[in-house]
Amino acid sequence: MRPQPPSGTPAPVCGMSAGGCDGAADWPADVSDGSSLPAVELPRKRKGDMEERNSTDCKMEDDLSRSEEEDQQVKIKCFREPHRQIEKRRRDKMNNLIDELSAMIPACQPMVQKPDKLTVLRKAVQHLKALKVGTSSAFADSTNKPSILPQDDFRQLLLRAADGFMLVVSCDRAKILFISESVSKILNFSLLELTGQSLFDFIHPKDINKVKEQLSSWEYPQEHMIDAATGLQVQTDAPIKPTHLSSGAWRSFFCRMKHSRVAGKQEEKHQLPCTAKKKDTSRYCTLHCTGYMRSCPSSQLDSEGDAETPSLSCLVMLCRPLPHGSPEPPKHINAKPSAFVTRCAIDGKFTFVEQQATTVIGYLPQEVLGTSCYEYFHQDDLQHLAEKHRQVLRSKEKIETQCYKFKTKYGSYVSLQSQWFSFTNPWTKEVEFIVSSNRVMSGPGHIKDEEAGRLKAMQEEIPIIPSLSNGVGTMIYAGSIGTQIANELIDSYSRVNSSQSSGASSPFGSTNEKCPLVSPPISTSASSGGGAASSSSQPDSRTAAGASSATADSSGQVSQLDLDGMVVPAMSSFSSDEAAMAVIMSLLETEVNVGQPGDYEDLHWPF
Amino acid sequence: MTADKEKRRAISREAARRRRRVESEVFEDLSRLLPLQQSVRDHLDKPSVIRLTLSYIRMHTLLTGKTGTKAEASHKVICGQVTDGQMVRHEFNGGCGEDEEKEKYDAEASEETNMYLRILEGFLMVLSTEGDMIYLSENVSKYMGLTQTELMGHNIFEFSHPCDHEELRNNLRVTAEEVWSGEKRDFVMRIKSALTHRGRSANLKSATWKVLHCQGRSKVCVAPSSVSCLLLTCQPLPLSHTLLSTQTFTSQHSMDMRFTYCDQRMTLLLGYSTEELLGRSIYDLCHTRDTNCLTKNHFNLCFKSQSVSGRYRMLVRGGGYVWVESHSAVIPNAHSSKSRPGANQPLCILCVTYVLSGVEEPSLQLSLDQTVHI
Repeated sequence: MRPQPPSGTPAPVCGMSAGGCDGAADWPADVSDGSSLPAVELPRKRKGDMEERNSTDCKMEDDLSRSEEEDQQVKIKCFREPHRQIEKRRRDKMNNLIDELSAMIPACQPMVQKPDKLTVLRKAVQHLKALKVGTSSAFADSTNKPSILPQDDFRQLLLRAADGFMLVVSCDRAKILFISESVSKILNFSLLELTGQSLFDFIHPKDINKVKEQLSSWEYPQEHMIDAATGLQVQTDAPIKPTHLSSGAWRSFFCRMKHSRVAGKQEEKHQLPCTAKKKDTSRYCTLHCTGYMRSCPSSQLDSEGDAETPSLSCLVMLCRPLPHGSPEPPKHINAKPSAFVTRCAIDGKFTFVEQQATTVIGYLPQEVLGTSCYEYFHQDDLQHLAEKHRQVLRSKEKIETQCYKFKTKYGSYVSLQSQWFSFTNPWTKEVEFIVSSNRVMSGPGHIKDEEAGRLKAMQEEIPIIPSLSNGVGTMIYAGSIGTQIANELIDSYSRVNSSQSSGASSPFGSTNEKCPLVSPPISTSASSGGGAASSSSQPDSRTAAGASSATADSSGQVSQLDLDGMVVPAMSSFSSDEAAMAVIMSLLETEVNVGQPGDYEDLHWPF
Repeated sequence: MTADKEKRRAISREAARRRRRVESEVFEDLSRLLPLQQSVRDHLDKPSVIRLTLSYIRMHTLLTGKTGTKAEASHKVICGQVTDGQMVRHEFNGGCGEDEEKEKYDAEASEETNMYLRILEGFLMVLSTEGDMIYLSENVSKYMGLTQTELMGHNIFEFSHPCDHEELRNNLRVTAEEVWSGEKRDFVMRIKSALTHRGRSANLKSATWKVLHCQGRSKVCVAPSSVSCLLLTCQPLPLSHTLLSTQTFTSQHSMDMRFTYCDQRMTLLLGYSTEELLGRSIYDLCHTRDTNCLTKNHFNLCFKSQSVSGRYRMLVRGGGYVWVESHSAVIPNAHSSKSRPGANQPLCILCVTYVLSGVEEPSLQLSLDQTVHI
């Protein structure tokens, strides 16, 4: 009779535990217990007895007056209690395993009643015997090491998982000595077409030298090796750590290999990144080749192989196409000529402009780089865009602007709508730049009449010099809007930084043991320090307390700047548009949020 | 206690012992059927026997079952050629007179398999949609310090870092929902390793975390039973002893990804001098559309200490860009003050960047950093 599982919350399937190192507690019980459960006097196996013992103990708990004898019994109870827990866990685990087993065995499926443990086990034995009837006898009773999977299956599985193919080439002439069948799925060539050929026939011409270099040396030149522990190039006298490199040097490189179009095959779903070459009609895909050098006994060479070299060195590699999910080549991005991406520093100065922008704004990227975006915004839009600017610097979300007008090279305005997103450095948590996706909403021809009138008036005032708006003064003032907004942000950084202790934020340390908390590490300096101290299970040199002092330094310098000091000198230099600027500045000042440290409480990980 | 009760207890104890004996015998039968070495077999406890049996059955299903859409139904268990086209099983006609050949084949096959594993520089893991490690290749002991039989059948969540559980769960959930096989996966996870520095196995209680780069694809089996799983290769990310070709360069960065060092190959390949780059953020040097890729890479570095970026574009000085891929890791800063070795060493990021393409659109200047007067 199979004991029924005790009532109550069942143990998780297969002992899955959510805690960090908690799994370790279960582990020794499973592995070290090589024998069956000992037959002890305590009848723990039978549920009835267990309950009886339970009830006795419960009664004892309720007893308030304790004599020494009862104390003793309490102690025993306390000892048995965790033991009981362990037993319960074990039993539950076993029961779960049995259940899983019965689910996998076809013979157990149609049973109406849940079969008992012994039956399931017996059926499992039968099932295994049946499975082995039709399989390769490499399984059992082999003098070689038997393995769970037959060798061939394993290799196939591996190549499928690695999504690559095996390649063995001779080092002298790059003859393909062996290539696994999986290549046909990746390069669309058959084995016949490849085996025995020279590898260079299939490599992209520009990569041939690189591959030659990788094939050439049996012993790697020291100056090209790097040591992972220090990141420095290996010195000739430094001992190379004894790793798995017993026979030869390790190679890892990327190269492009030809891949053929097979007639009739659907190419749209092709997941390989390919670069179509202009002159050559072949298509190439980029492969990551990793492997090592070894000497091949001559028996593995074909009959044409060199007779005078009994042992040849060859390179044994696994070639994998690059993973999917990488950005598409530029040609696909150009699909929508009316959209382009730009990047600005936090003060609004362009630092990156895509080439498609030229068709929209007329300027070449280099004409615009370094200038402030505010110089191109229409006066009417300045306020709303400044507001969005301020917003995006403080938000993790994408900010949509309304439609606004952007001055093109020729003086006309084009209507754009943008999505702004501020990029925060994952380490320093500071905003580094703003990425803007800009979409053309409508051409100049769609502007309403009254606006068109005003526009025309403005156009007449515009000097012929490109990239200047009406008057040098306005340009500089416009630019300073961005600078001021940026300075507000930098000030808020310095305010936060000055309030924390000497160690700057280090998310690497504080979150190594526990999951990242929602509140940013900047303001929880105390907890990050505590977290650093408790990360005892970290390997020696990688510690939690790694502080990046650069953060504190850079913001310390900037905090010297005075908000007002930035604007006033500029204003006094130019008298003409002073009034207009004053209006704008007053609008901004009333909205200035003096960057409380509290602002950063709302920020959370963007991931 | 009455004599009667005593007697009943004795009988029930006897019955229990008998049951246990029978059960043990069946367990032994089962373990003998598993393809394991005798020495390993002797040390298996009952739950392990079941675990391994489960793995065996599941793997068998996986390899012989029909793959395809979940909508299909098939009742035949196919032993032999599989419609998948990738998996072709070799059959042996009995064993009479061919033992010697078979042994030689086995030896060669085993050698070839070892070669595959060595090239892979990692181990193979097959994960069920619940996270059970249905299968692990034998060399897993080299990376985790625990043997294949100790680990197979256990759940990955017991061995991976809790902060990576979410990502794992997502990957598994997507696998469970998939209809077609073959969707690719690529992620980094931290796993417990019971290896000491010298490579010896220690107790799991003193386990350290090892970072693994997992790549692979899903596999959906329809018949005989619906088994979806993830086939993954798990590789640690070694940066050492790599022969750097002329198309690769190394660079070091502070934790915020600003350059602190780069080797002269960077100048040859991208045109920037070392002095120009010091203090510059890598984000400024790359195409804006690749910001997400770089951010993910950075994030992996901050939390998992190692990362493989996808492909991204680095801007070349003077104009244009190249496609690159970076393998990075966080290491203690060797250049820092040597007077204080040990716990408080500051960290830095080491990157090995492979240049994948030629310079594209060389006349195009997209960024401020490319312009000559900087």
